[in-house]
Amino acid sequence: MRLLPGELRPPRDEPQRGELLRGELLRAEIRKLNRPLSWGVAGAAALFCVLLAAGGAHNASLEGQSAALTHLPSCTQMGVPPGPRCARAEVLERARANQVREQPARTAAQLNPLAAGAEAAGLMASLPGVLALALLAGAHIGGEWSGRTVKNLLTQQGRRWRVLAAKLVSLWLAGVGLIVICWTALAIGGPVLVHLNHLPAPHQSVAHALSLSGSQVARALLVLAAFAVLGVLAGVLTRGTIGTTAAVAGAAIAMLVVASLPALGTWTPATWVQAWMGFPAGQASITSLPTNFWSRFITASGAAPGHLAGLAGLAALLAVCWAASVLAFRRMDISG
Amino acid sequence: MTAVIECRGLTKRYRGATALAGLDLVVEPGQVFGFLGPNGAGKTTTLRILLGLVTATAGEARLNGRRVPDPSGLAQVGAMIEEPAFYPWLTGRRNLQILAMFGRHLPARGDAIVAALDRAGLAFVADRKVKTYSQGMRQRLGLAAALMRRPTLLLLDEPANGMDPAGIKEFRTLLRALADDGTTVFLSSHLLAEVEQVCDQVAVILAGRLVEQGTTAALATARACVRAALDPADLDPALALLASWQARADGPDAVLVETSDGRAVNEALGRAGIWARQIVLERPKLEEAFLELTEPELTEPELTEPELTETPEVGHAPAAR
Repeated sequence: MRLLPGELRPPRDEPQRGELLRGELLRAEIRKLNRPLSWGVAGAAALFCVLLAAGGAHNASLEGQSAALTHLPSCTQMGVPPGPRCARAEVLERARANQVREQPARTAAQLNPLAAGAEAAGLMASLPGVLALALLAGAHIGGEWSGRTVKNLLTQQGRRWRVLAAKLVSLWLAGVGLIVICWTALAIGGPVLVHLNHLPAPHQSVAHALSLSGSQVARALLVLAAFAVLGVLAGVLTRGTIGTTAAVAGAAIAMLVVASLPALGTWTPATWVQAWMGFPAGQASITSLPTNFWSRFITASGAAPGHLAGLAGLAALLAVCWAASVLAFRRMDISG
Repeated sequence: MTAVIECRGLTKRYRGATALAGLDLVVEPGQVFGFLGPNGAGKTTTLRILLGLVTATAGEARLNGRRVPDPSGLAQVGAMIEEPAFYPWLTGRRNLQILAMFGRHLPARGDAIVAALDRAGLAFVADRKVKTYSQGMRQRLGLAAALMRRPTLLLLDEPANGMDPAGIKEFRTLLRALADDGTTVFLSSHLLAEVEQVCDQVAVILAGRLVEQGTTAALATARACVRAALDPADLDPALALLASWQARADGPDAVLVETSDGRAVNEALGRAGIWARQIVLERPKLEEAFLELTEPELTEPELTEPELTETPEVGHAPAAR
């Protein structure tokens, strides 16, 4: 411990209001995210997207081949008597066949490098995304208690809500980063998979592909913010790495379970996510290449809320979780 | 002169258990102040309240004249609470950079961090990841973090844990230099020999209350006693003669008298015709004084903070002497 003459005199000036730079806190939190776990989660998310795309492209290819070989069944084969019912059944069957026939082109369109952003956003705004953020929240927020570093932060920065805000924004940015990484992985791997599986050209305009991606990515930003604030709340309440991860994952699963209850299904956080993201309802979301892993778990009947109701619900969820986090954190004794 | 630390009736209760039971404490600036007490006495809780990490149940605490919690005032306080913890996947330097970004804007941050690392003797491993550091190195990094802002007040909780003897000596020199330069150092430690060497004043707390405060010399003098070596035949008459001073036998040929006035003992014995072969004023070391002050608690199971001592019944804990 060397003594540097003249350097030990402490500053006597009073701290001034507004001197604390909030941007500094956020930068500090982002620097902390540069850790092996974050890169591991990013790598796993990218790998998941590529493997899902590979499976989807293969499925679409097989469906295209089988659709070309099959003929429309007659009313007699379907067991429907001739007449208006038969005509209706034939129309439905034709539509289904067309849908199956279009699967290869639709999948190819999903894997277009510009349109793949929608796929990446859909995945990160659903179960894979919430699980990835649960892991990151566990390390990034709950880990401050498990690692006993929270006291260091609070002896430097006494305004606790600022610490929490920096954590929330950095976790949200990590989620945004996951979308970018998944989009990049799909943009690189998509054309290769389309080529390998001989999927037809989708005839999709650049503007359409970009608008689809832009819209879904923009919508996913709010959903990621809701997932991130859940992570913050779980971190503050459980004060540990494992507890935070388990609480966020558990909350997501609980949301999906509650959404399936007949009495509550229409108005739960899970249906708000579904409505805001515009995910197809129930079984309709199960396609060759699924756009999400969320709405397939919601089997509630009844009219789903619209985009606006989804937006309002998610905004309310965000506000309530944030207020609860700040309140709990401000009152909390840091004794670990 | 404004006290740097002032606690008035500071109380902290956790679900029926009491960590602090009306602590009164005043620390004047520009000194190294030792804060002593057995495990569970409330030392770490006091430090946590001063830093705004824990909210007091009752009473008040002030740092530099400002009531805590005082987020703005933290810029003038450097702290190291218990074993310091850092992000193991980052280097020592990066850890300090992150901490510096959290607090009040630190001008010439890079230089301040280099200076702090240098002072803590860590410059040579600053760019190694913290997960490779030994416990002593982590302690030094904690010290560097506390010194980084050149604080007016340094709160240190067991800072020398895990340090090698050379490190402890350097640390002692550093604390003295800081105090000489005007920084107040508030040091909680179990290394009583170190405290005795470096501290200007000490306070001893027990069960969340102050039991003694003063200079280390005053603490020792208050517990000084006179040892008179006598002929064995004179022992009983001498004990009877000196009973008003609380005398007790110390072997078959000596008495220990609880006073620091050797002349008075000598005179009393002489007037009664008892001639001592030797009269010695014995001053206990800080450790002995500390043990004497906290003796009743040592028979109870040791608790580590934030595990707590039960609320003492009224009159059980000694009041300030």
